[in-house]
Amino acid sequence: MILLQSPSRFLLQILQDRVLSPDKGVDLDCHSVEFDDVRYHIQVKSLISVLLQMTSLVVVIELRIGLQFSMRNPHVVVLSVSLPIPPPEAIFFDGLPFGAIEAIKAAYGAVAQILDPPKDGYNLTMKLNLSKLPSDEEQRQALLVKIASVREVVLGAPLRFVLKNLATKTVAPEMDQLIALVHRPKESFFLLPQQAEKVTVVYPMRFQDSTDIVLATSFLQELIESRRTAGLNNAPSCMWSPSPPLELKGAPAQALTANAGFVTFVIFPRHVEGKKLDRTVWSLLTFHAYVSYHVKCSEGFMHTRMRRRVESLIQALDRAKPESEKSKKLVSGKSFKRLSLNEARSNSNS
Amino acid sequence: MDAASRPAVVIDNGTGYTKIGFAGNVEPSFVIPSVVAVNESFLNQSEGRSMGNYIAQYNAGIMADLDFFIGEEAVSQSRASGIYNLSYPIQHSKVTNWDTMEKFWQQCIYNYLSCDPEDHYFLLTESPITSPEDREYMGEIMFETFNVPGMYIALQPVLALSAGCSTPKPQMTGVVVDIGDGATHVVPVVDGYIIGSSIKSFPISGSDITQFVLQLLRERGELIPPEDSFEIARKVKEMYCYNSSSIVKEYNKYDKKPEKYIKQWTGVKPMTGVPFSFDIGYERFLGPEVFFHPEIYVDDFRTPLPDVIDMCVQSAPIDTRRGLYKNVVLSGGSTMFKGFQKRLQTDLKKIVDDRIAASNARLGGDVISHPVEVNVVSHPVQRFAVWFGGSVVSSLPEFHESCHTKEDYDEYGASICRTSPIFKGMY
Repeated sequence: MILLQSPSRFLLQILQDRVLSPDKGVDLDCHSVEFDDVRYHIQVKSLISVLLQMTSLVVVIELRIGLQFSMRNPHVVVLSVSLPIPPPEAIFFDGLPFGAIEAIKAAYGAVAQILDPPKDGYNLTMKLNLSKLPSDEEQRQALLVKIASVREVVLGAPLRFVLKNLATKTVAPEMDQLIALVHRPKESFFLLPQQAEKVTVVYPMRFQDSTDIVLATSFLQELIESRRTAGLNNAPSCMWSPSPPLELKGAPAQALTANAGFVTFVIFPRHVEGKKLDRTVWSLLTFHAYVSYHVKCSEGFMHTRMRRRVESLIQALDRAKPESEKSKKLVSGKSFKRLSLNEARSNSNS
Repeated sequence: MDAASRPAVVIDNGTGYTKIGFAGNVEPSFVIPSVVAVNESFLNQSEGRSMGNYIAQYNAGIMADLDFFIGEEAVSQSRASGIYNLSYPIQHSKVTNWDTMEKFWQQCIYNYLSCDPEDHYFLLTESPITSPEDREYMGEIMFETFNVPGMYIALQPVLALSAGCSTPKPQMTGVVVDIGDGATHVVPVVDGYIIGSSIKSFPISGSDITQFVLQLLRERGELIPPEDSFEIARKVKEMYCYNSSSIVKEYNKYDKKPEKYIKQWTGVKPMTGVPFSFDIGYERFLGPEVFFHPEIYVDDFRTPLPDVIDMCVQSAPIDTRRGLYKNVVLSGGSTMFKGFQKRLQTDLKKIVDDRIAASNARLGGDVISHPVEVNVVSHPVQRFAVWFGGSVVSSLPEFHESCHTKEDYDEYGASICRTSPIFKGMY
């Protein structure tokens, strides 16, 4: 896996299970947390528990109405999403990024119904009616994947709006200055859509661990370097600098502290044509997570090599053992003891 | 928001399946086979990666150290193409290949849970036979590679006991009978502590039952496609096998009413697409019978599981034995056979009662000893008991204080993982 996947496997699996066996009237109440503090809570209340809640309150006639209503209930899944806490410079409207509600409506249509106000502690609560899914197998699967990528739809809404304008080469009147978009808790990245034919995206890169900072810095420098190779002429041009680039003049000071430098991408209309738009939105949105993932992967790769090196050194030490000891080990056949350096030295002395 | 306020990640690495999920949930989010398909081509690569090498790899469209799959995908990928080698990092509940184990965790975290390991505490599990060195390795990988803020390595049997903590009468004393895919252990736990010297193991586990079912099917001459035979036998085992109270009765039942008891299996051969079908007969009850009569499957081990449990309790300190008999807890997928709990209960009870009767007879009626209560407990989450226990434990408020933390690791090194952090200051 080189790129992070957009649909959440967790949501997709639950939704698929629900669609395949909707009659399994099992209550479901699951939480999950994704990178950058995106939380999901998915709930299904089956017939029985809804009825139990109702019987305590309503009279018989109303119970019948309740029954009809709750008969459909196993198809209804309530999905709540909580987003990272936005930094002061990024603007949220009613707890959601700009244009999120429209994006949800456009993406899910009749299947999802936004509940207002959302569940306590969450930014968005949707009621998904699985009986309204398209009957065609392929379309249904596509829509389920889309629901599972709710993160991309909601958090990516403003970015998508800007990039869509870029594709049609227009500048929306209110969107001409520096825009801060949240991508991590209390951290944002910046968009500069001043010109009609390009959008500049700037990421201040921050890491917690000192090893990570070093690895990420060299990773980013390599990234710039490899962008120059012949095969990648059409990729967005990118730059890395240890200090804030000039484009970020107007940004608040606390947003400009970064310990692994600043990365700038310049996106041209050819990068957001047609189907490329979705992928570009997702890649830009998760750039930090992508770098952090690859830093971890390279650490893992280094460990693999270190382990292999230690093994080869131990083999070399084993070969250096005197003949008598080797044969002794063969007879017992049970020696798990690894030779330490000191012991090896004393052995060679004796 | 700091890591302690987010739910912890609970990963239970079993020999057959790995259970992954977040603390506070009732079920693991993912249950995937513990297998990695690795592309070994990057091993032969020359020392010191030069730029040219990178471009060659890039042009070939691979990033060889990232070119691997885990779980179901690994199995299907290795079937589809020849460049992947399947590697099972855990064998007989012991990690044998740390390289692939690290890769496995990496995918669990980033691909399946898609969470940031720096944001969460981790709870990992180990079997009672894990060595301190293995624990150090585990800590090293978690802290060095993934930078987790804190980690706790819990013992599987203790977690299986804590899974019962959600019941009205929580008990931390009991014998855990853990039958997984790769290993079977009988572990006595007293007040949450394992009595290490009394741990008994039983050489038959889930995969052996599968093997035995397959053997029975083959001996009868059923036509099973060889490339898929193990998979089919596993499904037969999971769907149709059960424990009977007596084999003789069961044989009679089958002979009198074959149409009621003998099941049909239909499928399609994966290679040719030709449909096939075969009968499932006596193996339905003979498979799980191996636990009670191991001699029908292996030659060199003849002690039935109830006797092993009894030996285990008898070797424990005398003041704990009543408590242990009272709470025999089942855990692991292979205890899910219908009737398994009932059968174990009857057999174990019989052994204990016989012993008491013998001792009463020997004392000649002067002293009558109290009858010993024997309870084999099964609970609804038995299949994921260990994971569920982990989920319960890691949602306790004390959990975060009892973890090995990153600061401790940076200060003292991997040796902190040798002991439980609950006994802080003892290392």
